[in-house]
Amino acid sequence: MDPAARLGPAQIDVVAQLAVSTLLLGGIYALIAVGLTLIFGIMRVVNFAHGEFLMLGMYLAFFAFTLRGVDPYLVLIIAIPIFYLVGLFVYVLVMRGVIHASHNVQIFTTVGLSTALQNIALVMWTGDFRIIRPWESSVVLRAAGTAFNLAQVVAFAVAVALTVALMAFMKWTHTGRVMRATAQDRDAATLMGIDTDRVYRLTFAIGIACVGAAGVLVSPLYAAYPQAGLQFVTLAYVVVVLGGLGDMAGAMLGSLIVAAVEVGGSYIFGAAWKEVFYFLLFIGVLVFRPAGLLGQRGAETLGA
Amino acid sequence: MSRLAPDRWAAVAMFAVAALTPLVVRDAFLLDSVILILLWGALSAAWNVAGGYAGQVSLGHAAFFGIGAYAAALMSARYAQSPWLGLAVGVALSVVAGALIGYLSNRLKGPYFALSTIAFAEVLKIVASRWRGFTSGSEGVPVPYRPGFWTLGLGHVAWLYLILVVAVGCYALQVYLERSRVGYQLAGVREDEDAAEALGIATRRRKVQAIVLSAAMTSACGSLWAQYVGFVDPSHVFSIDLSVRFALNSIIGGIGTALGPFLGSLLITSLETYLRATFSGVEASFTGIYLIIYGVVLILIVRFAPDGLTGIAGRFWAWRARAHA
Amino acid sequence: MLTLEAVTKRFGGLTAVRAVSLEVRAGDLLGIIGPNGAGKTTLFNVIAGYYRPEEGRVRFEGRDVTGLPPHAIARLGLTRTFQIVKPFGNLSVADNVMIGALTRLPRVAHARAEAERVIDLCGLGPHRYARARALPIALRKRLEVARALATRPRLLLLDEVMAGLNPTELVGIVDLVRRVHAEGVTLIVIEHVMAAMMRLAQRIVMLHHGEKIAEGTPQEIAHDRRVIDAYLGDEFNLAEA
Repeated sequence: MDPAARLGPAQIDVVAQLAVSTLLLGGIYALIAVGLTLIFGIMRVVNFAHGEFLMLGMYLAFFAFTLRGVDPYLVLIIAIPIFYLVGLFVYVLVMRGVIHASHNVQIFTTVGLSTALQNIALVMWTGDFRIIRPWESSVVLRAAGTAFNLAQVVAFAVAVALTVALMAFMKWTHTGRVMRATAQDRDAATLMGIDTDRVYRLTFAIGIACVGAAGVLVSPLYAAYPQAGLQFVTLAYVVVVLGGLGDMAGAMLGSLIVAAVEVGGSYIFGAAWKEVFYFLLFIGVLVFRPAGLLGQRGAETLGA
Repeated sequence: MSRLAPDRWAAVAMFAVAALTPLVVRDAFLLDSVILILLWGALSAAWNVAGGYAGQVSLGHAAFFGIGAYAAALMSARYAQSPWLGLAVGVALSVVAGALIGYLSNRLKGPYFALSTIAFAEVLKIVASRWRGFTSGSEGVPVPYRPGFWTLGLGHVAWLYLILVVAVGCYALQVYLERSRVGYQLAGVREDEDAAEALGIATRRRKVQAIVLSAAMTSACGSLWAQYVGFVDPSHVFSIDLSVRFALNSIIGGIGTALGPFLGSLLITSLETYLRATFSGVEASFTGIYLIIYGVVLILIVRFAPDGLTGIAGRFWAWRARAHA
Repeated sequence: MLTLEAVTKRFGGLTAVRAVSLEVRAGDLLGIIGPNGAGKTTLFNVIAGYYRPEEGRVRFEGRDVTGLPPHAIARLGLTRTFQIVKPFGNLSVADNVMIGALTRLPRVAHARAEAERVIDLCGLGPHRYARARALPIALRKRLEVARALATRPRLLLLDEVMAGLNPTELVGIVDLVRRVHAEGVTLIVIEHVMAAMMRLAQRIVMLHHGEKIAEGTPQEIAHDRRVIDAYLGDEFNLAEA
């Protein structure tokens, strides 16, 4: 094909469409990943059960919609406090006891939590795929030759708003500064009179509130089922490792990269192979830049 | 003659009971349970070589299991060759894959290492489900049943003795690792890599060796599993659930001990079999109950008894010895 | 035996060790002193292969070992202990030391016997079956020495084996260091406890801001203007902080 013809209006539309899709998808991934990276950055724990809270958020939206007819965006208002409390509860019950334990203990505690939550969902709600179609799922917006779903746009907007709010909270509030201080040096924070247990409790609760909210937001777009969290959480690991574990701005960047790989990969090679690309990307980053693309924190500090 | 430690006696007793079972009962359900306990024990022992003895905690061992399972299944289903040949090919491929993973992930520790192993298994899962022309994709591969040892079309009793041999082999290998130079050096690597280096131990090479050995064992067991169960599909054989299960048995039984994986398997596999049988008629999703128990037990064990059942037993033994003294 | 030729190690913009040259002869007992952050431990890490220097060479018994991994250097007969002790915590004292001995003696039985000898030499006999992590700090420091000694090094780097010990424990470990030296092991010792160092070392090197600023006998060092300034300066900084 003649190169000049390749850049006709239709091709520009394709590029614009891919870019918009990347952005929309990236926003949602960012909200899922930001809680994970927050928990990691401050508690130094990789939460292998993160996806299960996303799954619970999806179920919450599903049941609110089918049983009470509540729109997912209204559910969001109650979902954030609910998941905040869930986070507090899980922290006190499960995480508090292992916060100073070895990596292996932490890994298997959250893995155990993941297994338990997944199967509680399976036993209570069966393995069926649960899909909701609120009105916003069927509204298509068109602008400048691109088309997208209203649900995607709202999910993106809310995700970005929440992520930015969280970053602002971390940067400018006293509590946020205390949390960052704890992340920097646990022992020094304790010596300075910081109640680290309170910091961890708060961190875990906020992280879970974020991912729960993300679950509600994606419910008009993806089916809820017990393993629904898995597909997203593997993705979130990619995002978080790309951005540098514990780095929120990095997580935003990582989300966009992963979304771009996914969108571009699906377009060029077909949807079936897209995951291979981000896993290969993941392995590449883990092997060659374990501190992430921005790379402020050394991975070796983690391994100690 | 040196006296055997209690845990060695327990292992001998366990394998002896397994060996005697077919002489007493011919019930297929019971024989099947014993086979699965031994097979899951052997697989967990394989995981334990890397995760327990060398401290390379992987959550992607399903990768090697899947390679083994597919190699044997495809060799007999697609090429009508002996699954033993497939087992050998699978082991060879897993050795390569293990060396690759071990080499690439060498600098990674703790959760980073676990994440990278998950990613490897996921890549293989996607390849196996998408490469339809070769693997039949997500529909999976049914393994043809051809009676005979060479084709691994065996009855329950023969399967039991075959798997028993494999299990005893895996156990013996672990015992060797506990008492040999390599084993002690791996313990050093697990406990502190910097210190191990200072003592002249080539930590990177030792880690890769442990992962390769573990991968080969896992792959061989995966091949046998495929022939025994008769069906291979990517979403199961490469799943993270499977990887977790290998680790889980070892941790519950006692990580880094020879008996641990088998003890864990005895407990978890019988629990699973029992609950499956109990709830099979009720509703399909009720089988999830044993997995809930899994999860909760795992959390409780790592929190309150990180050295597992063998650790608890050891403390009890020591306490009793003191009480009697 | 050991020669450092203008070794430099940088971390980003910070130069931790700057053009340090050093000559250690067989049978030496060399002390390295210097304020916190002077680059003492970094120098050990460079010698033992944990860090690769940006410039300069490290030669051990005439052989260039720059850039070799630590285990290869350890097998050549040069090993070290760690300032923050790194015992194999879940293993017994006997197993800890035996893992060291396995480097020279591939047979487990032989290594076990060698470990017993070293354990007795280091006064750890009564604790041989104790878990390493259960030992008090003084004994963990001894274990650190014992484990390194079991590899039969010709040159041993001791990184603050006396720090954090009470006077009685100090006497014991000084005695141990002397015994190790008497067995024919060449030693380089980093120490903060100046009094002990003055009595122990034959020769002392002073590092400050990563540079070697003085070298001499303990008497010479004790009266060296630069040494006194460095330590006083350090104290003034501490007072201001």
